[in-house]
Amino acid sequence: MSNRIFKAALGGVTVLFSGLLIWAILSLILMPEVSEFVESTLSEEMLYSIRLSLFTSLISVALVMVLAVSIGFVLARFTFPGHNLLRTIVDLPMAFPELVLGLCLLLLFGHAPFGKWLQSMGVNVVFSKYSIVVAQVFTAAPYAIRVVYGTFRGISPRYEMVARSLGCGLLGSFLRVSVPMAKGGLFAAAVIAFARCMGCFGTVLILAGGTRMYTETLPITLYLNISYGNLAMAMSSGIILIFISLGAIIVFEVLNQEVVL
Amino acid sequence: MDLLSVRNLSVDLGNFSLKDISFGVPEGSYCCLLGASGAGKSVLLETIIGAFRPKQGKVYLRGTDVTAWPPERRRLGIVYQDYMLFPHLDVRGNIAFGLKGQGLTTDKIDPRVMKISRQLDIEDLLERDIATLSGGEQQRVALARALVTEPEILLLDEAFSALDVNTRERLRTMMARVVREIGITVLHVTHDREDVWALATHVAVINDGEMLQHGTPEDLFRRPRPGHVASIMGAGNIISGEVVSETGADLGIVLANGIRLYSSENLTMGSDVTLSIRPEDIMVARDESVISARNRIPVTLSEIKRRGPLTWLTGRSGDLELIAMVTSSGYESLETSPGDMCFFIFKASSLCLIEENFQKIVLASNFS
Repeated sequence: MSNRIFKAALGGVTVLFSGLLIWAILSLILMPEVSEFVESTLSEEMLYSIRLSLFTSLISVALVMVLAVSIGFVLARFTFPGHNLLRTIVDLPMAFPELVLGLCLLLLFGHAPFGKWLQSMGVNVVFSKYSIVVAQVFTAAPYAIRVVYGTFRGISPRYEMVARSLGCGLLGSFLRVSVPMAKGGLFAAAVIAFARCMGCFGTVLILAGGTRMYTETLPITLYLNISYGNLAMAMSSGIILIFISLGAIIVFEVLNQEVVL
Repeated sequence: MDLLSVRNLSVDLGNFSLKDISFGVPEGSYCCLLGASGAGKSVLLETIIGAFRPKQGKVYLRGTDVTAWPPERRRLGIVYQDYMLFPHLDVRGNIAFGLKGQGLTTDKIDPRVMKISRQLDIEDLLERDIATLSGGEQQRVALARALVTEPEILLLDEAFSALDVNTRERLRTMMARVVREIGITVLHVTHDREDVWALATHVAVINDGEMLQHGTPEDLFRRPRPGHVASIMGAGNIISGEVVSETGADLGIVLANGIRLYSSENLTMGSDVTLSIRPEDIMVARDESVISARNRIPVTLSEIKRRGPLTWLTGRSGDLELIAMVTSSGYESLETSPGDMCFFIFKASSLCLIEENFQKIVLASNFS
């Protein structure tokens, strides 16, 4: 009897939460008229926002994957003093509120010697389109590193040792064995990174400024339009973000299953 | 000169260490590195291949110090227990992996892949996905992949352990044939002494990170060091005693727990000795007169363990305990049960000297 009550309680909590979540998502998706949604989506501002979001996100994902594969492999394969510290450091941005991360980056690329050095080299990151990519990379990289690290950890280093015994150098075994074997995990990391980049708001707002039709990504469009009271535009950008996230989650789950199995 | 030589090798992995390991593998030999799980066999093998950097000591290949060399420079083929076949490549891709890495063209690679596949009887599997192969097939593919690059030494890490008994036996037979055909030197890590009997020309026993004894299988079979080596070699009976009549024109006599034992070993009067007698060398009879061997020990049977076709009988004579192994049909014809008296009978030549005066003597043809 107590088992049944326990099971019912667990099931109740699960159904209640997932039901509320679906309800919340549907309430956004079903709120605007279809014509309203189409009109908003095809507006100049929204098309600019979608283009900028996709363009910056794709660049950011490429950069994130370079970082994630490098750092993930280092963490998974090498032991060195400070290994755990490095893991904690790369995980830190996940625990930070995005606004705080944005503030840190604003100081680094603005007032800190590093930012001043970049400015002296003619690279002005803050409040430019570059800053969108910087913000997205720092926000998304920890998630991708986690997935890539887990993927490499799940592959026995003995595969690489076999490859090396067959004459491959470290780079050869990495390219011919580790990367192909981690393919599913790397795609999953890229998908997660893409979703994080597309949805990156707080960090972009602080570092890039959220200027209309300049540093306006989809989450910024939502924010600006809800501030002006333009609910149709806000909801449309929200719906587009939901579909992008949903697609990313589905792809991630499929690839993640591939990795685990 | 040994093809592979390990000198005073110590490896510290934090929670486990290898301690001052020294041994050698002569060219053309099949050396089994025998030890229980966790003894350090695989760590030693992976240090030899270059996965771990030793704290001290050296690894030599043909007399050249390769301790600091990366694995790819050492030219050692390795086959692991769990095959480690690359899942993104088919059978042909796996076997050809090393040759492609050498920059060879397909017309050079294909004949070599075919040749080794024929030797290992896997030529029909070449286009197969490795996920569709059985354990025995995967292991043969892994062997082909390692052998096709013609390594200096083939390292096998518990290579047959994950297989069922029949497949394991077939692979041993095939392995013996292939090693003979190719003439390759093998270092085979195993916990299964059947691998030693079936394949080894040399054997080394390791336990808790230390090398305990090495020599030919016959050396370790006849004269295992007391303790772990005797146990892992299945020696069964280790007897300590004092020589009361040294070997001369007649056999030497050892007094062990009040029992006089005859041995044809070269015994020195008054020395303390440790001897071994294998359970299968002891005959069991109700009547001592039926067998004409020199040692006839009257014992009381204390324990009888039947294991399929074989039966182990434990007999006590005072404080001396001996284990005999007989066929189960032979045991049935004895018509004995625990508590019965019978005779444990064995030849003087079966009683082998292991240690004398508590000093280690050179047991093996020292191949290091």
